[in-house]
Amino acid sequence: MNIIQITSLKKQYNGNYVLKGIDLNIDAGQIVGYIGPNGAGKSTTIKILTGIIGDFEGDALVMGLDVRQNPVEIKQKIGYIPEQAALYDVLTPLEYLRFVGKLYQMEDAVIEKKSMDLLRLFDLSDKATTRMNGYSKGMKQKVLLISGLIHNPEIIFLDEPLSGLDANAVILVKEILAQLKQSGKTIFYSSHIMDVVEKISDRIIIIDKGEVIADGSFETLQNNAHAGSLENIFTSLTGGASQHQNTAGQFIDILNS
Amino acid sequence: MDKLILRFVLWCSRILIRQGVDFERLKIIAETKILMDRRRVYMNWKPKQQKENSNRLTLTLATYSIFGFLIGTMIFTLDSLVLYMIFVHAYILFMMAMTMITDFSSVLLDTTDNQVILPRPVNSKTLFVARLVHILVYLLQFTIALALFPLLFIFIKFGILTGIASIATIVLTVAFAVFITYLLYALILRFSNEQKVNDIVGYFQIFMTVFFAVGFQLVPRLINLDQLSANFQLHWYSYFLPPVWMALTLDALHQFNFDPIHIIMMGCAVIIPAVTFWLMIKYLAPSFARKLAALNNNAPVKKDQPLISQSAKSISQKISGILCRSKTESGSFEMVWKITGRDKSFKMQFYPSLAYILVFIFIFVFKNGKDVQTLWSNLPSTRMFLFFIYMPMFSIAGSMAFITTNDNFQASFIYQSTPVAMPGYLISGALKAILVKFFILIYLVMFAFAAYIWGIAIIDDFIFGFFNNILLFLLITNLSDHYLPFSRQPNAKQQSGKFVKALLQMIIIGALVGLHYLVIQQYWLTACLIPLSIAGCYLLLKKIQQLNWLKISF
Repeated sequence: MNIIQITSLKKQYNGNYVLKGIDLNIDAGQIVGYIGPNGAGKSTTIKILTGIIGDFEGDALVMGLDVRQNPVEIKQKIGYIPEQAALYDVLTPLEYLRFVGKLYQMEDAVIEKKSMDLLRLFDLSDKATTRMNGYSKGMKQKVLLISGLIHNPEIIFLDEPLSGLDANAVILVKEILAQLKQSGKTIFYSSHIMDVVEKISDRIIIIDKGEVIADGSFETLQNNAHAGSLENIFTSLTGGASQHQNTAGQFIDILNS
Repeated sequence: MDKLILRFVLWCSRILIRQGVDFERLKIIAETKILMDRRRVYMNWKPKQQKENSNRLTLTLATYSIFGFLIGTMIFTLDSLVLYMIFVHAYILFMMAMTMITDFSSVLLDTTDNQVILPRPVNSKTLFVARLVHILVYLLQFTIALALFPLLFIFIKFGILTGIASIATIVLTVAFAVFITYLLYALILRFSNEQKVNDIVGYFQIFMTVFFAVGFQLVPRLINLDQLSANFQLHWYSYFLPPVWMALTLDALHQFNFDPIHIIMMGCAVIIPAVTFWLMIKYLAPSFARKLAALNNNAPVKKDQPLISQSAKSISQKISGILCRSKTESGSFEMVWKITGRDKSFKMQFYPSLAYILVFIFIFVFKNGKDVQTLWSNLPSTRMFLFFIYMPMFSIAGSMAFITTNDNFQASFIYQSTPVAMPGYLISGALKAILVKFFILIYLVMFAFAAYIWGIAIIDDFIFGFFNNILLFLLITNLSDHYLPFSRQPNAKQQSGKFVKALLQMIIIGALVGLHYLVIQQYWLTACLIPLSIAGCYLLLKKIQQLNWLKISF
């Protein structure tokens, strides 16, 4: 069964199309890596699928529900973790999670127990009652991860979830994602960190300028592009490696002049 | 003006220091720092429009000089030179210390220098002198702004000699203010961490904002009061106050009166600031710098916090359990309750507006402060207590604009990514939080004050007024654009077409207050209207709760 179905999805801002007709069907229980250069339309796609943007052309179904018709039902079953560490940082993690949990209509006692346990796993339990404005970006990112998962969603949308995390936390998050997949969850993952995407994704979708330019498992992409790592595949598809070399050469020339 | 002062200070330093300082680099460092000063957001100036090149420093300095002008005009109502000088020096001491604490703290506590300048080829003496030059330029700007008009008036009224002596005493006062600031910072740093320092500075900033808000309303009125011409008495504790030393020194020079008291005061005026300043440079500043360096390197001390038990509930959680039906509403209630208690920019905007309540009641009830005595004794026979009933709502309703904005407005993605079916509950939760947290408390204070003047009999009016206030508050929110709590960028563009709405609001408020005025005498009528008012509140609240996503503005 396709848990996410997108049909000729288009989105414009003031006549500028940032998505120019995207068709995707995603199976349940997969980790999908969604990559592309800045401004390619990654975040926009995710915001449409999570029901944050309701104004678009084409169709998008999540768990069989139309995102335009039933955004609230969909939001109850999915989790969204945005790119910047955007949270109300004058609150403590416990207070923030309590607030978010209530928006998911969870019971107070459940929220409190889950928050405390999850914070402990992220080594934040000693800071659970400290306000987050003194937190580092990585610590905020951990709280944000918890806030997107606390209601045990079926699909998890992650937009650059590893930014600011230290090496150990990155490994932990990768492992959490892998185990979420084991338990049947679907993960839609957008990132710039190519080697992570390469390692954890079952399927990689590359978009550029609002269109899908590559789609398949890492092995498929490798065979099609005749290139080694995902990074090489990505540059050969989106910008051209020679262009980067050229720019770097000019950079050095100017420094030397 | 800052460029001129910089050139002057640089010229002085060139003469005083001959060796070891690279003047080219000194100049560029000082210039850059002064440029950053100009761009810094000044405590109470939330820029109305986001203009890149707007010079907020100039605006602040202009405000200070206007304030200085107001204080300075006292010279024409006060006969006593001593009293006037005490006023002027106390004012400069207070303002200078406050400015240093609230505003210059970001410079004093800034450790980015260590990352930006230390890796560059600048020798330590140059850097030290550059910092000194920067601080001097800063101090001079504010001193000139503060003291310009008072000094001008002193020259006019008391002559050139006293004027020149005043310049000296003002400089000494500023030096003392710098010492006080350093002492305070050293104390705070001694006992707490950087976060605490920022918190404490935040409270000073809020205090300053309130001070300005009230000061600009009250000082011009106080000047008209006749009571101020009272004679000045020296109490024993006066001798410990720096402004008194300065004032008596000037008095001695002005009247050529050198009796023991004046001699002692002159001694204090010159010696104490000089000694404290020397102490500061010798001991306080270096230890301060060491502590500051330690702040950056060491992580704050970890406290072993007990894991919160299930039963420990905060006040907001208890109240939201009683007042809020849906989970969404209580979530919003608790969040608004907590953030309004912690967010500095909210407090800086909201608390001054609370102070305005008192100012406006003062203005309306006592008019220009003429003949306060008779007005006061006639009060019980008037219906002035209506001001006490309805004035608070102006500030409370205004707070709605503040709780929709936040520096972290991006965090409001959470409303969209979570399954919120009825966003109206987010707004109603916020409204309830504001009403319970701020309005009820203020209203009780108002009632206590009014009951003291008019007697407990006015309680029926206050009960009626209580629900009317809530009714007005809900009406105003119903008529305004609906924003979710903390979801907008501060200084977002205001919508047009506000005038008609504002007019409509004024008419409704006027009508309701007028109705109340008419029914004051009929107790039974007031009693009958109370249920009506309650019903209105209930309906309006329901209406807000039922708002759907289409009605929410972003």
